[in-house]
Amino acid sequence: MIELLRRAASSRPTQDAVVSSRGSVTFAELLERAERVAANLTARDIDRFGILDDDPASVLALLAGSALAGSEACIYPLNATDEAIGETRERFAHTHFVTTRESLAGQGNLATADLFADHGEPVPAEQPEHAPLMGMTTGTSGAPKGVLHEWSRVLRTTTRIKPVDDQQWLLAYGLNQFGGLQILIHVVAAQTTLVAADTFQPRDALAAMRRWGVTHASGTPTFWRFVLVEMAGDGGSVPPLRQITLGGEAVPSGLLHQIEARFPTARVSQIYGATEFGQNVSVRDGVAGLPVSMLEGDGDVTFKVVDGELWVKSKSSMLGYYGADPIDADDWRATGDLVEIVGDRIEFRGRSSEVINVGGIKVHPFPVEERISTIPGVAVVRVFGRKNAMVGAIVAVEVIASPGHDTETIDAAIREACADLPPAARPRSIRFVESMSTTGNKISRSAST
Amino acid sequence: MGSPRSVAEQTIQRFLTRANKDADVKPETPLFGDGIGLDSLETAELSSMLEDDLGSDPFSEGITAQTVGEILDFYSDDAQPA
Repeated sequence: MIELLRRAASSRPTQDAVVSSRGSVTFAELLERAERVAANLTARDIDRFGILDDDPASVLALLAGSALAGSEACIYPLNATDEAIGETRERFAHTHFVTTRESLAGQGNLATADLFADHGEPVPAEQPEHAPLMGMTTGTSGAPKGVLHEWSRVLRTTTRIKPVDDQQWLLAYGLNQFGGLQILIHVVAAQTTLVAADTFQPRDALAAMRRWGVTHASGTPTFWRFVLVEMAGDGGSVPPLRQITLGGEAVPSGLLHQIEARFPTARVSQIYGATEFGQNVSVRDGVAGLPVSMLEGDGDVTFKVVDGELWVKSKSSMLGYYGADPIDADDWRATGDLVEIVGDRIEFRGRSSEVINVGGIKVHPFPVEERISTIPGVAVVRVFGRKNAMVGAIVAVEVIASPGHDTETIDAAIREACADLPPAARPRSIRFVESMSTTGNKISRSAST
Repeated sequence: MGSPRSVAEQTIQRFLTRANKDADVKPETPLFGDGIGLDSLETAELSSMLEDDLGSDPFSEGITAQTVGEILDFYSDDAQPA
């Protein structure tokens, strides 16, 4: 990471690396901060630490500095409470913690500004061969897990990224998420500019896209659904996007078409990746799912299907989970994503943890959700299992209706659209809601009461 | 908003309309078999609608009501769970 940053700072020292309402930071400034971080981490013998900082420019400098020092950094989610952070730190044995959060100041924690300060310590010359990094899973189904990586493996495909001009990339993922880290790496490798909104909420992201003329934006399907809702509501200008990328959740084909219609000048692509396998694959043909040509190939990432679940083998794969037995990083791993091969396509059916057991019959929520998402008046939908005393669980639907649409009409349309599904898969509970909770801009489809 | 019993009546009527069932039911009408003829999934749906509208329902409380009246009785003042 430090080498990418040194290259960018050498060839484009005065270019903005990160812009936000806090101001802008150039590549030269970022490198200076990163080298001081490395010097201070080395001098204090800090070999691993947690980060909780709401300034993406600072996090970028901390990451690059940690790589140079060979110290294992781990970024914590900004929306975590102090209590949750305390529990996670204990699980991950993070005795060192760098933060800007006032409520955590002192208590033996380090301030980011202290690591940026010049204390006269020497800067390490080169990144060690094995520089570690720890990611964190989103924790949509249980406590987040620590995912052990090595920078050299995570960055192995960056040699293919060439410097570009005149691109502004939106940061729509938290930097604790794999998608956020990938955007950060891409921006530094391409020597372009990262635009950070005030929060990761779609409304703030839309404002940032308009304010700074974002040209490239990557987010979850849930993020893009809410961006479309915000745009319909405020009637403002369409951001000048040239590329839109969706990933992190299964992508409904209906949403792809809605985005193509709303952003006619943008190229729309899907990425498939996970914290565990260290890199993304990209699909640009405008069709939901992955091409079957990706099965059992010889690329950096290859796939196979075992009992309806997608397995992956990646040359950038993690080395294992923190606190668990080490794994063979080059072996096949189950992804937890359920798929079906339809023609020449690998179509996603949802997460294995999201399957609804309706009286012994397994129902995948995603195909039901995909049907409902195309109904006029349905702005956002989630399908999940609702506990039920008679049959264990029923298929439940929550909908945010578009303004001006009658909910009774939408309710009837949902029932009609699902009438030809097997009885167990038909929605038995339909509720209209004002908002929907998300984790990392992903909708939760876990069973609820 | 009427009494819990009258709300339950309205919920049952709405359910019957949605499920394309005979809406002309009486308290003594059986829920299953030759009565309304509910199957397990339809019963589950009715259970969730009652829970949404009234905060509780007999099926979730372990009472397998056999007639429309037994559902309504669940919402009578002296039959409500504490």
